[in-house]
Amino acid sequence: MEAAGFVKRYGKVEAVRGLDLAVAQGELFGLIGPDGAGKSSLLKAVAGVLSYEGGEVRVFGLPVTTEAGAEAAKAHLGFMPQGLGRNLYGDLSIEENIDFFAKLRLVPAADLRERKERLLGMTRLDRFRARPMKQLSGGMKQKLGLVCTLIHAPRLILLDEPTTGVDPVSRRDFWTILHELLSEGGVTALISTAYMDEASRFDRVALLYQGRALAVGPAREVAAGTPGVVLRIRPEVVGPGEIRVASSVGLSADRGGLAAAEEPGAQASSVSSAATVPRAFEAPDALELLGARYASVRGLGREVRVFVPGAADEGAATAALHALLGGAGIGFSITGREAADLEDVFVCKVAPHHADAPGGTGGPGGTDTPATSDTPELSGLDWTRDGGAPITPIISGASGEPARQADEAQGLAIHARGLIRDFGSFRAVDNVSFSVKPGEIFGLLGANGAGKTTVIKMLTGILSPTGGAGSVAGADMLRGGRAIKERIGYMSQAFSLYTDLTVAENLRLYAGVYGLNRRLAAERVVWAIKLAGLAGRENALTASLPMGLSQRLALCCALLHRPRILFLDEPTSGVDPLGRRLFWDILRRLSRRAGVAVLITTHYMSEAEYCDHLALMYAGRVVADATPEAMKAALLADAGPMLEVDVDDPHRAVAALRAAGFAEAALHGGSVHAQAGPGEARERGAAVAAALVAAGVNVRAVAQTPLSMEDVFVHRVLALEAEEAGAKGARA
Amino acid sequence: MNLIRVAALAQKEWREILRDRLFFSLSFVVPALLMLLFGYGLSLDVENIPFAIHDLDRTPQSRDYAYRFIHSRYFDFKGYVTGEAQAQQLLGQGSVRAVIVIDRNFGRELSADRPAHVQTLLDGTFPYRTQVTKGYITAINTAVTRELLADYMVRVKGLSPSRAQDAVDPVRLEVRYLYNQGLKSSWGVASKLIMALLLMCPPFLTALGVVREKESGAIYNIYASNATRAEFLVGKLNPYFCIAFINAMVLWAMACFLFGAPFKGSATAFLFATVLYVLCSTGIGLLISILVGSQVAAMIVTAVVTAMPSMLYSGLLTPVASMNWTARGVAAVFPAMYYGRIIESCFLKGLGWGNAWGDMLVLAGYGAGLFAVGYAMFHKRGKT
Repeated sequence: MEAAGFVKRYGKVEAVRGLDLAVAQGELFGLIGPDGAGKSSLLKAVAGVLSYEGGEVRVFGLPVTTEAGAEAAKAHLGFMPQGLGRNLYGDLSIEENIDFFAKLRLVPAADLRERKERLLGMTRLDRFRARPMKQLSGGMKQKLGLVCTLIHAPRLILLDEPTTGVDPVSRRDFWTILHELLSEGGVTALISTAYMDEASRFDRVALLYQGRALAVGPAREVAAGTPGVVLRIRPEVVGPGEIRVASSVGLSADRGGLAAAEEPGAQASSVSSAATVPRAFEAPDALELLGARYASVRGLGREVRVFVPGAADEGAATAALHALLGGAGIGFSITGREAADLEDVFVCKVAPHHADAPGGTGGPGGTDTPATSDTPELSGLDWTRDGGAPITPIISGASGEPARQADEAQGLAIHARGLIRDFGSFRAVDNVSFSVKPGEIFGLLGANGAGKTTVIKMLTGILSPTGGAGSVAGADMLRGGRAIKERIGYMSQAFSLYTDLTVAENLRLYAGVYGLNRRLAAERVVWAIKLAGLAGRENALTASLPMGLSQRLALCCALLHRPRILFLDEPTSGVDPLGRRLFWDILRRLSRRAGVAVLITTHYMSEAEYCDHLALMYAGRVVADATPEAMKAALLADAGPMLEVDVDDPHRAVAALRAAGFAEAALHGGSVHAQAGPGEARERGAAVAAALVAAGVNVRAVAQTPLSMEDVFVHRVLALEAEEAGAKGARA
Repeated sequence: MNLIRVAALAQKEWREILRDRLFFSLSFVVPALLMLLFGYGLSLDVENIPFAIHDLDRTPQSRDYAYRFIHSRYFDFKGYVTGEAQAQQLLGQGSVRAVIVIDRNFGRELSADRPAHVQTLLDGTFPYRTQVTKGYITAINTAVTRELLADYMVRVKGLSPSRAQDAVDPVRLEVRYLYNQGLKSSWGVASKLIMALLLMCPPFLTALGVVREKESGAIYNIYASNATRAEFLVGKLNPYFCIAFINAMVLWAMACFLFGAPFKGSATAFLFATVLYVLCSTGIGLLISILVGSQVAAMIVTAVVTAMPSMLYSGLLTPVASMNWTARGVAAVFPAMYYGRIIESCFLKGLGWGNAWGDMLVLAGYGAGLFAVGYAMFHKRGKT
């Protein structure tokens, strides 16, 4: 596949602005970028189902420039459009769907029989072959889509966002199947995705943004292409005049500790004066400072991960950080050093001309605007300072229930106790208990249908629970519906703004809904516009805003009445990484400065790491409730370190590792990732290498890679599924 | 054209239709239901007009006169009113549509061979109905007048009653209704409804069926494969055509057996014309589905393009020949008029191929044109 100077316009909008790409035979090529980057346009053009305005696309050397010309390549193409199961037929069974695709592609009956069995077996769909497609889960739909796309054994497969909206377990499963299918060789795959962390799955990637390729190459090289150092630091606040920078060791033992120069005479930090804010929440001041300087900064619990672009080595990066933070009286210790990932690169490249930025042009070359310019005006979030809502819940005295008083004594923002919700005979939420403190960001994770949204609906008073109790913002969940609604903000992806109203009209509407008086409403609308970074766009139609901005506006609408608790149901789906970062900046500030408790669900496992506390839901139950660090530590103890093995023949290596008992071994580009089993990293690495050598695979290097929340999620869910299957087996 | 692909497409489409219970039942229930509603509701006959009499005279002559109306099958006598106020009230409530006021000296004047006076008050809210009512009243009044005249001639001129009768009716009019001897409007309406409903319902189904696939994205399976445009259109539209044809037969049966419309003409001619007509209406649905992108838009456009013309410009309510030039132009653009003429000749006139072939040719050309345009506008490699 080749594209040269590819241009696609929709009306006046230029979706793709001159793209040059070449994908070699047999390559697994990724198109990575946020919504609106031009991924779908390119894929459709290659599939010959979309005309384009400029340049040329060639498939197998044949030009795809006319409708007739496109036909020539179609026999050898498999195209799966965007949208989970959207191209399948809901009323047809799995087998009927496959048969239809096969007949459409004129697959001979014998081939069809053979391929169908093999593909159904591989995707483990064979047990459900008579089930109508509409009754399948998201992950199964996606696998069926893949089978249907592959049934005529195409030489080039084009998959448009096959993993969007799929839970991490199904996603990982999907990649395993795809790699297995492609391991037979000869098939070229062009796949788009909005998840940056999937980059390592491809042989090569193109990082797309606003119709242009920011970078093309193997994921690791693309990430390495932007010089800089990624550090994880733990900021510490110390008294005036005694700034210390603790030195510490990185992940590998051979990396020595780094001492940084002391900087005396610095001022004390301007930490929130509210006494109720726990000490642990003081990190964000460092985060704010870093965020103002560097584009790619992520707050991970108490730690901060920062990409220092241009830094030659760890020393230079540390010095730069020290100069920045020391000036504000913040000390820090370095807790780790990581390789820059694609998200760092993306954010750094995009920040100067980001579309969400008030002055952003998004045009060629961008402007010299520093990253700070598109940061929303956050200072308005210090509610405690300007006399906004207090942090501790107001004791309403409406109910004399002892448990509730206990919650207030502990200062809990949300306390769920044994929540149950049945839909008919189906128990969607089963005995869920957890608590959220003021100022805490609490993440609720789980696959589709795990019960997350139902829990949120019960807590916000939209849905009444079948059983259990709880208190929200100091009011009893069952009786205090009205009080709760006054004290909380709710935002979901589905809860959308009125797209035919302007920014200011939307805000005024919500100010009215929340019953603010005229003076307060006018004041808050101005405040919200600043907070959303929408100054100058008050009269823009909401429909014209990019995804990131409209989501930020929706958040601000939910903040107009200064709630004490914020419920967010997948607020960042489809938003690009920089937009997500700015969104999280607001959340963090809200929680740290105003003491707002945030309950959030997300599909992005990378975002889960930003939370202070996580609860993992599975089949309506909370199966894990801990901090992200604790969850990772538990995984490390339970399943051992994650090793990245560099080998000659990755496909054979995966097979060999699985045969040797490393069930979760998976292909990542040219290397293999394997959960090595409990034990010390070096020792387990040796075991993995030995298994590979025994299978005749040449091992070049073994290195430890950090565990991600996705690893945690997948491992937990798979263990639960195995347990459930075991229990079923025992019963039978 | 590869028949395996066509068969696969048709089979898939049939399965989807048959398994989508709502879609399936709607596709058969809606036309039959509309047939019932319109067939019974769209009667243009004016009969049983409720009326009252205000008899100020109360003489044998006035009662005689009143009984002419009371016994008529066109009128439904509601009773005598006692005063003008009551008459006004009944008319206002709508419980009577007409009041006949017989003047105080009705009997005396007649006995004295002087003109007597009768007044009628009519509810004019529906001009058509009012006109018909006025016609009935005038006719009855004329009959009474003529009898009185004949009576007078017998009395004064000494003519025999039959001579007197001839003298007041010098020109006799013999009326004979052809094709619909009972002038039952339900006969005409029921058969014409087949035409109107076949223009309304099949395009809805077809447009929804195709647009549904566009909306979901499943159409990309076709775009991205080597299935040709013709294969797709034939395979995809096959079920919709069949459903429309089955519906045509159901509607025909309803018209004949439920509404008792006589089918006197050539069955083969009717069948052939129906096939052509159903092709046309399916083609309209296809064309709409190519132009719009969402099911909602498809519904609205179909309603505007087919429902109005099929009701107003098809000859269902007003004969096309008596429309003004613009309306006739509009009528000529839609296939309903041509099929309507065929239905007329097949049902009531009992004619066959000989008269219908011209209209059939038009329908065939129309259908071919629709599919040619649809084929040309359907692209596997679109702009968006």
